[in-house]
Amino acid sequence: MNPNEGSYPLLLMKSYWFLDREGGTCHALPHDQRILAERIKQLEGDKTAETPDWEYAVKCGFVKNRGEYLDLLHATALFLAADRIDEESKVDHPELILMVKMLDEIDTVINLLSERSVEWYRALNPEFSRKSEIPRGRKLRDLMRDGSDEALGEILDEIEQLTKRRSTLSGKVSAKAAEFLPNCSALAGGLVAARLAAEAGGIRALALMPGSAIQVLGARNALFCHLSTASPPPKHGLVYQYRGVHGSRKERRGKVARVLAAKLAIAAKIDYYRGESDPVFIEKAQETILNAGRSP
Amino acid sequence: MIWIGDQLVSEGPGGVYGERMIQGYRLWNPRRSKLAALYHLGKGIDLESHHRVLYLGAANGTTVSHVADYVEVVYAVEPAPRPMQDLIVVARQRKNIIPIMADARRPERYIPLVEKVDIIYQDVAQPDQAEILSVNSRFLVSDGFMVFMLKPRSIDVTRTPAHVAEEVINELSTRGIRTEECVWLSPYYPDHAALICKIS
Repeated sequence: MNPNEGSYPLLLMKSYWFLDREGGTCHALPHDQRILAERIKQLEGDKTAETPDWEYAVKCGFVKNRGEYLDLLHATALFLAADRIDEESKVDHPELILMVKMLDEIDTVINLLSERSVEWYRALNPEFSRKSEIPRGRKLRDLMRDGSDEALGEILDEIEQLTKRRSTLSGKVSAKAAEFLPNCSALAGGLVAARLAAEAGGIRALALMPGSAIQVLGARNALFCHLSTASPPPKHGLVYQYRGVHGSRKERRGKVARVLAAKLAIAAKIDYYRGESDPVFIEKAQETILNAGRSP
Repeated sequence: MIWIGDQLVSEGPGGVYGERMIQGYRLWNPRRSKLAALYHLGKGIDLESHHRVLYLGAANGTTVSHVADYVEVVYAVEPAPRPMQDLIVVARQRKNIIPIMADARRPERYIPLVEKVDIIYQDVAQPDQAEILSVNSRFLVSDGFMVFMLKPRSIDVTRTPAHVAEEVINELSTRGIRTEECVWLSPYYPDHAALICKIS
């Protein structure tokens, strides 16, 4: 008996996406996309995985000819690709990022339309001055609607509608963020957490970032200005929107932003890899962030 | 390759991305596909009906669909989910496109699916594109060709494209890939080059 036989069984075993070949025998798999796709996933990075040999697939009786081999490979690859897209969206939740981007775009649109409406109203009512004490937001719109052009009134209605859509969407973003980014949301609020993920390029990308990067997310211009010239580094980017940052005294803001970002970096990792809220972590982190804002 | 007058076309069901049809053939626009630009410049490897192709950086499947019209089978690798959604739609219409959602830097992920191929076409516009080609050359038959779309601006914007191209050709040769020809794709694609390579 050959001494190598039996002692190195793995060397004799070959695994294709459609069958196992062991010595002279082969075990073909059923023509089921689900089973075949599962098998391909297992074979990824497996040392015994072989470059496929369609002629062997025919010899073994898995398929009748090359045409059938390619048809089956095509169907399985389609199934696998659709499955991968599905998996990706389960962990990265692209809809959260698109929702928060939509929210920010609605803000831009509302501001643009409001600005233009005021200009229009001013042209119709020369005595109206922006320097004087004029109301803002809804009150301003009510004021302008009286005695102004009908077309302008309709546009003001549209702005009103958009404002309503905005608040609905904002609530939905917060709810989604609390679901997909529970720890980040608990620390910085749902909107800020979602904006951070959007700016980072996804929940996974955010989870891979160090705290120092999260601290200046959204302060791109200031950061690159700092890197290329001698200007001071930005203290905060999007995290500024957290009330603990913009609400604290100017000389403390940098510290709060730094501590918050460090904790957010940990929170993002828990969110991505564990996917659930960690109350013990949140409580301790909140306390640390609060302390950072206090005078020494 | 099929030409109608001076227009490159391919034969297959139309309406993949709103392409124009000429006498029942699909127009393959050199301004929308770097591979078409290469053929319009009179260079490139002619695609034949028995060819097996590994296509790295398949994106939305625009060029892939034309390649699939010519060859036996295309293994189309694309890592990003959004373009992959489009590619799946294209692959449903064309049974010889095998869509693979994977990163071309990690060929071990698709070794179980991809057989030896006659042509590797790569269009990825990444800084490490030379390395990507080299790790995928394992799929090529020994006398096969590699068509490598080089975007020097993706490697280093601060140096001249010709300089970067020269460096890439040198890097490829240290990795055992010989560049037979370097074709600049102007006027269709300024600052893009196509390298025709073989395993040395």
